[in-house]
Amino acid sequence: MIKFERETYVINGVKTAVFTAGHGEPVVFFHGASTMEGFEFCQSWAERHRVIVPHHPGFGESDDDPSLTDLHDYVLHYLELFDTLRLDRFTLVGLSLGGYLAAKFASEHGHRVKKLALIAPAGMIDPQHPMVDVLAVPGEQVPGLLVSNIEVIKKFLPENPDLDFMADRYREATTVARLLWEHPGDPKFMRYLHRIKMPTMIVWGDEDKLIPVGQTEMWRKFIPNADIKIFKGAGHLVHLEKPEAVEAMSNFIV
Amino acid sequence: MIGDRESMMSAALRFNVMHFMPYVHLPENHKEYKSTWVSFPNKYYDPHKGLDLYNQYLSQLVLADKLGYDAVVVNEHHNTVYSMMACPSLIAAALIPQTTNTKICVWGTPPNFMLPNRLAEEYAMLDVMSKGRLEVAFPLGTGMEYWSNPVNPATARERFRESLKIILQAWTEDGPTTHYGQYYTYRFLNPWPRPFQRPHPPCYIVGTGSPETIEIAAEYGFGYASVFVTQQRAAELNENLRQRAASYGNTLRPDQFPLQTWVYVAETQEQAEREFIGHFQRFFEDFARTSPQFLAPPGYLSVEQLKIRAAMADKMHGGFDFDAISKSFFIAVGTPEKVANQLGEWSIKMKTNHFNNVMHVADMPHWKTVKNLTLFAEEVMPRLRSRSTPSYRMAAE
Repeated sequence: MIKFERETYVINGVKTAVFTAGHGEPVVFFHGASTMEGFEFCQSWAERHRVIVPHHPGFGESDDDPSLTDLHDYVLHYLELFDTLRLDRFTLVGLSLGGYLAAKFASEHGHRVKKLALIAPAGMIDPQHPMVDVLAVPGEQVPGLLVSNIEVIKKFLPENPDLDFMADRYREATTVARLLWEHPGDPKFMRYLHRIKMPTMIVWGDEDKLIPVGQTEMWRKFIPNADIKIFKGAGHLVHLEKPEAVEAMSNFIV
Repeated sequence: MIGDRESMMSAALRFNVMHFMPYVHLPENHKEYKSTWVSFPNKYYDPHKGLDLYNQYLSQLVLADKLGYDAVVVNEHHNTVYSMMACPSLIAAALIPQTTNTKICVWGTPPNFMLPNRLAEEYAMLDVMSKGRLEVAFPLGTGMEYWSNPVNPATARERFRESLKIILQAWTEDGPTTHYGQYYTYRFLNPWPRPFQRPHPPCYIVGTGSPETIEIAAEYGFGYASVFVTQQRAAELNENLRQRAASYGNTLRPDQFPLQTWVYVAETQEQAEREFIGHFQRFFEDFARTSPQFLAPPGYLSVEQLKIRAAMADKMHGGFDFDAISKSFFIAVGTPEKVANQLGEWSIKMKTNHFNNVMHVADMPHWKTVKNLTLFAEEVMPRLRSRSTPSYRMAAE
């Protein structure tokens, strides 16, 4: 396996950690609302691609910037980071909140996104299949919402109560609260989704307890060309529960 | 002008009665709920019982005025049995015509849950209506309140600072003025009426001693009404505040450090404990019962503060132990002599002459509260006021 190298860039004052591995056509992965489960799943992509995994401001090893108060600030942050990295055009993969961000980026800057892959993306306002408001869920109940098989996530959780782990999650939840506390959904997001014209794949677990798989219908409506793949017996972190989901994306991004 | 008169006034002891006005009729199955805050179903609130409680509690505070207490204190909480004062200014408005001398302390409404001009106006109205008997305190609001009100906890502290600035500008500068901030825009900040007291009613910051709230009090030269803090933390807090205030050139008076106590007086020590402890236990276990999630919504605390508080909470695990709690908090229960001695000792230790006494707790019945208020006023207050101990003068210095 090709190892990730960690580098940091200061983007408009925010120290941003970026993990890179491999060579070839670039693939960028946007993590979700927590960095606890890492990004090992995309390591195999480094055999054929240059894989780039930044930590968003306010998450993981990147610094905080309380002045970033909506998702659009993150789109602009990434425009600057990609310019710094001289990434002109790339494949973009996003998980959950990172999928929301990836889709927003792609709807605004489609010419830079060669292909788009979304893993159980957030962002859709779907009254028929509402997302669980994860900000209102007690911390100890969150892991159970993320997977169908709890064993899959256990290795990312401390065995005993761990103050540092709790503090890390609290910090990342704080960043999410800055973005989403007052307005968990933004109708404007859906307003511009039709601008996504590049090849798009969406993968989802049919047992997703956080964002119901029923939301795929709305994604299909807004992005008719999207290749939507639903994996049976998988929860929200479908890419960790089903190797087939990673494989499908691997074949798609080639 | 800082002269003898002011230091003498500071040296005079001050006794408040602080009331939470809890809704005491918990359903039998209430232990099934991890929290009696935020999500505790409001179907358990019976307005008829609520009416009786309001009448009872208001009569207790009116009695406090007649008994010579210096102040009555009300505050704000939401979605909880802990307090029926979602709008403490309404309680204050009800008390004003029924009282004559006592200060009315609204300690208070979190500015984040009101438009700042509305809060400035509301307090100005109360101050005028009470002929200048109002005191106010500005809380950030507990974590629980941010689950109950549509305000982002992650920006609460910034918003709080801006609200405070607007309220003080509204009170201290002739209007109309303007304010262009991050959270609010005022093209004509010009509230009518203005406060009766000039430039404005005495102000406190309310908190549990976080560095952020201490800094605000220090900067404005406000008092600090601490709640739910241990003796050790209160001592540190007061010392920090004195030092931080000095760094802004503000010297705080002893009465700006109100000491929150739980007080119960009875004929004998044994009787006092027997009459008090059960209610106090239910206060801790039932009325103040909440979850770590509700206490700390995302962004409400800095990550550093979260760690400190989580570590403290771990230490406090275990069942209700009155002796242990008595030793760590300010709880004076016993005969008039004992309670007077205890309060006297704390005033020296904490360098304050201002007691903010909780005298009704949880489901304490009316008769006990009336007896407690009366015995304290008739037996404890004179004992303390007659002691011209040098300690009080020292505290005033």
